Amino acid sequence: MTEQEIIEITNRVFEESFELEKEKLKPEAQIFTDLGLDSLDIVDLVAALQKNFGVNMRNEEEIRNIRTLQDVYNFISAIKEREVTN
Amino acid sequence: MKRVVITGVGAVTPLGGSVDALIQGMELRKSAVCFMEEWSRYCGMSSHVAAPAKLKDEKNIPRQKRRSMGRMSIFAAQAAEQALADSGIKSDDISNRTGCIIGSTTGSAGSISRAFEIMLFEKDLSRLPSSMFFQGMSHTAAINVAQYLGLTGCVMATSAACASSLQAIGTGYEFIRSGRQDVLLCGGAEELHPSVTGSFDVVFAASVKYNQTPQKTPRPFDEDRDGLVCGEGSGILVLEEYEHAVQRGAGIYAEITGYGTCGSGSHISQSDKSSIIRCINETLNDARTAPDEIDYINAHATGTVQGDKEEAAAIGKLFGDSVPVSSLKGYIGHTLGASGAIELIASLIMMEKGIIYPTLNLDGTGPDCRGINHVKKPLKKEINTVLKNCFAFGGVNASLVCRKHIA
Repeated sequence: MTEQEIIEITNRVFEESFELEKEKLKPEAQIFTDLGLDSLDIVDLVAALQKNFGVNMRNEEEIRNIRTLQDVYNFISAIKEREVTN
Repeated sequence: MKRVVITGVGAVTPLGGSVDALIQGMELRKSAVCFMEEWSRYCGMSSHVAAPAKLKDEKNIPRQKRRSMGRMSIFAAQAAEQALADSGIKSDDISNRTGCIIGSTTGSAGSISRAFEIMLFEKDLSRLPSSMFFQGMSHTAAINVAQYLGLTGCVMATSAACASSLQAIGTGYEFIRSGRQDVLLCGGAEELHPSVTGSFDVVFAASVKYNQTPQKTPRPFDEDRDGLVCGEGSGILVLEEYEHAVQRGAGIYAEITGYGTCGSGSHISQSDKSSIIRCINETLNDARTAPDEIDYINAHATGTVQGDKEEAAAIGKLFGDSVPVSSLKGYIGHTLGASGAIELIASLIMMEKGIIYPTLNLDGTGPDCRGINHVKKPLKKEINTVLKNCFAFGGVNASLVCRKHIA
C-alpha cells in the first residue's frame, strides 16, 4: 500500500465518519482542536481505520501519541510496514 | 402546592414534523398508515401496516450531539426544540431547575437490533460504534434531549410502554407541583421497528386484515376493528410552574389539574375496566373535578378488540353518553410511548380551536363499545376541561386532566 493510498483512505474515513470537509484535512491539522474530535470519536476512528485497513490497532500503545492527521498516516504506515516485515 | 401550566408544545408525528402538520392532517381526515412491504420477509408476521414518521433535517443537530441519538431520540430532540421555542424560553433562561422527563417503551429499537446483529453474527465487539449503547439505553430520549438543549435540572425517563409519556407528564406535574423544579420538558418518543409491531402481532393485538387497504385501519371502537397499528414520533410539552410562567409573560395552553396512575394487578396484556375506572376516578379526585365537568375525553382506544371494549365500558360507567369521546389512532396509528404526549397536544389545540376531531375509521360502532358519546364527525364545542387516557401492557393505567387557562 502506497503512502498516497493511506492518505486517501484515512481522509475518506474522516470525511464519512466525522462529516468533515475535505479542505480541513491537512496533514498538520490537530485532531482534537482543529478537527473537533473527542474521546468517543477516537473509539469510532479506530474502529473505522481497522475496518478500512484490515488491521488490528485497538491495543497499540502508540495510538495515545497521535495528535495530527500526519500522525495517523504515519501510524498506519508503521503498522502496514510491520505487517510486511512479519 | 404549586400550580402547573403548559406553555409550549412540539411534535414529530406520522402526519409531519410539527404540531401544525399534525393538526392540518387531522383537519383533512388524513391517515398516515401505509403498507410496509419490507415486513413481509418476516415469517410469522401477519401485520404489514404502520404509520411511519419522516426523518428530516436531522443534520441540523450537530454531529457530536446527534451521534448518540437513534431514530426516536432525533424525533424527541426535534419535538423538544419546537416546544422550547414555542414556550418562548431562551437558552439563557434555562436554570438548574429546568429539566426533562421523557419516556419510551425501550431504547431505540433499530439501534439495539443493529448492536445485536454485530454481536451475534459478526461476533466482533470492536465493530460496535461508541455511541450505540447511548442509543439503546432505556432513557435514551431523555438524556439526548438534555444534552442537546443543555438541560441541567432533573433528567428522567419513564418506561411504561403505551403509558410512558403520560406518566412522564404526570411525573413532571408532581415535580413542579411539589416545588422541586420550575420547568420540565415532558413527553415521549417511539420508533417503528418490525420487532415492535411483532410484539403485538404474536399476541393477536395487531391489525392484520387491512394490509391491502391500510388507511382503513386501525378502527378504534368500530365493529370491524381487528387490532392496533404502530406509529412513531415524539411529543414534548413544556410544563412550567404557574408563577414562573406568569412572571415571564408566557402564553399558557392549559393548566394540569389532575393526574392518576395505577396498575390492574390482573393481567399482563389485557386491560380491564375496573382498574381504568379506578384510575380515572383517582385523576378526577386529584383535579377536584366531577365527571360532568369534563368537556372532552381523548381516549386511548387503539383499535384492539379487547382494549377498546374495556375503555368504552369504563367511560360509559363514569360519564354515560354525555361527554364527547374520540381517539386519534386512526390518523397516526399508535405511537406507543409517545402517544399520550402527542394526543394531549392535539387535545390542547382542539381546546384552543373549540373543535373536536372525530375518530377516524369509526363507521359503525361495535356493539361492545356503545353507550358513550362517540365523535364521528368534526364537532364544534367549547372545551374547558379535557381528560386524556393511556393504558399499557403490564396493566398500567394513566389519566390526566387539563383545564383551559383563563387569564
